[in-house]
Amino acid sequence: MSALQGLYRPKTVEEATALLAQDPEAKPLAGGATLVAMLNARVIEPTAFVSLADIDEIKGISVLADGRVRIGAFTRHRETAACTLALGSSAVVPHAASQIANATVRNMGTIGGSISFADPGLDYPPALVAAGAVIEIASMDGRRTVPAADFFVDWYVTALEAGELVTAVLLPVPDRGVGVYVKHARVAGDYATASVAACLVDDTCLRVAIGGCGPTPLSDPEADAEISADRSDAAIAHAARLLVERADPLDDVRGSADHRRLLIPRLLLRAVRSLEAMHRSAA
Amino acid sequence: MTSIQSTKPSSGSVTLHVNGESTQVAAVLHDTLLTVLRERLQLTAAKRGCNQGVCGACTISIDDAPMRACLSLAHNCEQAQVRTLEGLQDCPHMQALQAAFARAGAFQCGFCTPGMLVSARALLLRNPDPDAQAIRSALSGNLCRCTGYVKIIDAVRTAASALRLEGAAS
Repeated sequence: MSALQGLYRPKTVEEATALLAQDPEAKPLAGGATLVAMLNARVIEPTAFVSLADIDEIKGISVLADGRVRIGAFTRHRETAACTLALGSSAVVPHAASQIANATVRNMGTIGGSISFADPGLDYPPALVAAGAVIEIASMDGRRTVPAADFFVDWYVTALEAGELVTAVLLPVPDRGVGVYVKHARVAGDYATASVAACLVDDTCLRVAIGGCGPTPLSDPEADAEISADRSDAAIAHAARLLVERADPLDDVRGSADHRRLLIPRLLLRAVRSLEAMHRSAA
Repeated sequence: MTSIQSTKPSSGSVTLHVNGESTQVAAVLHDTLLTVLRERLQLTAAKRGCNQGVCGACTISIDDAPMRACLSLAHNCEQAQVRTLEGLQDCPHMQALQAAFARAGAFQCGFCTPGMLVSARALLLRNPDPDAQAIRSALSGNLCRCTGYVKIIDAVRTAASALRLEGAAS
């Protein structure tokens, strides 16, 4: 293996993964919204970048033959937020995209870059977990897929191995449900202090994932089962308690751990009630 | 590994398309577009504030979309059309905004102004009649530490109505 030097602009995923295999220290560069900020802060000092800007296969949103929706890794937040496909409950994903940072950063940042960074305050991770999305990953050995819930492993750690690259996010075949992303941040454009992504698939199936309250998006089958069966205030409060018990938030500049635990029941209630309102107006 | 040979890395200089002209300019791998614009091409309208993409003072137009010059690597911009505030002086939207900012006194130190203008122009191009909320939202990625934003928002509204009047007159 020899270290690469400079900025490479491969035209295909195969060329990109061949470069990353040759030098696992080379950094894949998508929109730059995170990676170049880290470079400017001297957190990273790579000798080579593999720019993904010329790889058409990983750009844009398309519907696969089996009905699933494929968001290419190099799709900017602006484009995901503006997606007009009827996604059903997976609409939580464009709704989350529309709340990332600000319009200028949404022109730059990409879904693949965002989830590869895996900051717990990001908006996509809980949305992808709630939607039951699958992450497509490429390496020299070919492609593999990982459910979003298994992709986020720990604080800033993903299932990506050295030499691997996110190539797409796959959303399930659209159902007839509704999805919503409720975010609490200190000011417009900030990372979430805490957030709730919620998907009402049908009247008997509701899935939620909490952002900003632990190393990875927090979801709990028991909480989902509870609010799927009963959406009363009391049931939602009980489900929120289950989630709060499993939460592992930090004290940081965006809020204390206790503050985040207090946000969970409030955001969950708001998310479920907005899903119901959306469901009624859609019907 | 033959495929790798087809992708040659960029080296010590880049060819950029800035304000309608192509220029070859020295740049190391870690140089941002902002560094190259300000320090090599003497285009100093875009400012270096946070260098983290947060403050918006470096906002410029890349391929017709407002983006952060500080989050763009110069070597990754070789195929892009870059426009800075200097290169937008002939744009009627920019002229209307600049006149309205001056009239409203929409600045004190002026550091955020170039970024504000580039973001506001993009807003007016897609929405000729934005309300205050739309303006706040479009400018939410541009921080001003002097004015409290009221005059900036007023100026954008004034520019929008001036442009609509002009459009109606012509």
